[in-house]
Amino acid sequence: MIETLLTPLQYDYMLKAIFVSGVIGGVCAFLSCFITLKGWSLMGDALSHSVVPGVAVAFYAGWPFAAGAFVTGLLAAVGMGFVKANTRLREDAVIGVVFTAFFALGLLLISLYPSQVDLRSIVFGNILGISNADIVQVLIISGGTLVVLGFKWRDLLLFCFDPNQARALGLNTTVLHFTLLTLLSATAVAALQTVGACLVVAMLVTPGATAYLLTDRFGKMIGIATSMGVGTSIVGAYASYFFDGSTGGCIVTLQSALFVAALVFAPKHGLIGQRARRRAAASGVGATEVAT
Amino acid sequence: MNPVSTEMSVRVTDVTVSYPNGNVALRAASFALEGGTICALVGVNGSGKSTLFKAIMGLLKPAAGTVTIAGRPVKAALKANLVAYVPQSEEVDWSFPVSVWDVVLMGRYGYMNFMRTPRAEDRRIAEESLARVGMLEFRERQIGELSGGQRKRVFLARALAQCGRVILLDEPFTGVDVNTETAIIALLRELRATGHIILVSTHNLGSVPEFCDHVVLINRTVLAAGPIAEVFTEENLQRTFGGVLRHFRFDESTVQNHDGRAVTLLTDDERPLVFGKGGHVEYSKRAEHTEILKKRTESEGDD
Repeated sequence: MIETLLTPLQYDYMLKAIFVSGVIGGVCAFLSCFITLKGWSLMGDALSHSVVPGVAVAFYAGWPFAAGAFVTGLLAAVGMGFVKANTRLREDAVIGVVFTAFFALGLLLISLYPSQVDLRSIVFGNILGISNADIVQVLIISGGTLVVLGFKWRDLLLFCFDPNQARALGLNTTVLHFTLLTLLSATAVAALQTVGACLVVAMLVTPGATAYLLTDRFGKMIGIATSMGVGTSIVGAYASYFFDGSTGGCIVTLQSALFVAALVFAPKHGLIGQRARRRAAASGVGATEVAT
Repeated sequence: MNPVSTEMSVRVTDVTVSYPNGNVALRAASFALEGGTICALVGVNGSGKSTLFKAIMGLLKPAAGTVTIAGRPVKAALKANLVAYVPQSEEVDWSFPVSVWDVVLMGRYGYMNFMRTPRAEDRRIAEESLARVGMLEFRERQIGELSGGQRKRVFLARALAQCGRVILLDEPFTGVDVNTETAIIALLRELRATGHIILVSTHNLGSVPEFCDHVVLINRTVLAAGPIAEVFTEENLQRTFGGVLRHFRFDESTVQNHDGRAVTLLTDDERPLVFGKGGHVEYSKRAEHTEILKKRTESEGDD
């Protein structure tokens, strides 16, 4: 039995996959706290799809995939900002139009030269086949993201909470805006390797959203989200060996399961807790001590 | 006036603000305030009150004109932590996972290092500010767990912690209990005594003469600005509000027949609801109303 459980760990590629998934899962989850609080979930989805043409171009040109991905990711972000500022369209329409345009262009490019790039590995991820060069890129992105978040999380938190106050304090909110956008694109590129373009947004939203249901303190939210991100990614990558299934699918399914558990059982913001409190309030027993 | 108060000033000169769609929200607005002032910014919704606030806070760049604070451009004044701001309650995400203490510490960011690690000094000032608004015991609460008045006090404490010399308050009395309103007004008076400039955007006309010494009347431009006694006049207010502000003419209603019983007047910022001495609803023009009632009864009788 134990021998069976240890089998995946005998393979080099499994060890690499588990390690890289854990790192990416953790970094994405850390960032997901800011993304959910800022209301940028849709933006995360958009950026993760917009990096695809960049990856394709990088492959043909022989650049590091992250460089290309990053450029188109930011181009898409700037494009959305431009269209939104200069038209009467609402933000969701702008995001929808721009990111699908980028994604479609990416698909087109890849289909023109199918032998060089594997569409499946971009769209669905291929962590089991990750090359050492790609691992280095992922680690650099993750390290950079952690350093920026570690130094600037308080500024970013204020930017998410009350951008006007950030301005009044003399902070440069444009720089903060682009810092967060850049981190989002960078981690989206890294996560592309693990779960693929389609599921990146889950890694960038679900842990933060789950943690937000469980706590009212930002510090705890970061802790819960990050442990969840690391845990589900490691377990998901490991378990995918036995299912012989998609690693990305495994990780995100685990995360979604935890989200559903939090949705139902979270002490304060869960469905059960809310119902109990509503009932208590209706019967007048133990009514909330707080006036609103 | 003490020496500090003469140093502080807010000067808005010929400020025009237009939005990308071409709408001019504010045209050639000018006024000036000196230290030791509580000034009300009064106008209808959409008159450009928040636009003016945003221009003073550097959130909007005027297409023409200048704003200076203590003789400096807005950007430099913000860097020097001169401007503190208390947002409208509707603008704040109350479910955000931050505690009262976190919010007040945010007021100190401008004094902290690159990583915004609070020093002992920052903690001391944040604690003092919370104590000053009577919210110290709530410091560990998540902000959504507070009442309307308590929420407002927390953001006031944040402004205090920032030690700004110009404090902007956006509709500070909306959704606030009477005790908090009194406490806020007392605090604003203290700040005025120490040479601060307080600018309060409000549609609570009744309270303006009670605690403000200056007023800026605004409707897409500054219609009038200056000391309350000179500017807060019936004529100016009529110009500011046009037909929007309805007033109740006591001399044309039944209220005039005094007999010692009480008349109750309830009002929000639009139309007052007046209960007469017998508890019946009063109308601002009794004669007209009786006429209407008569006509209605007649037409019903025809059917």
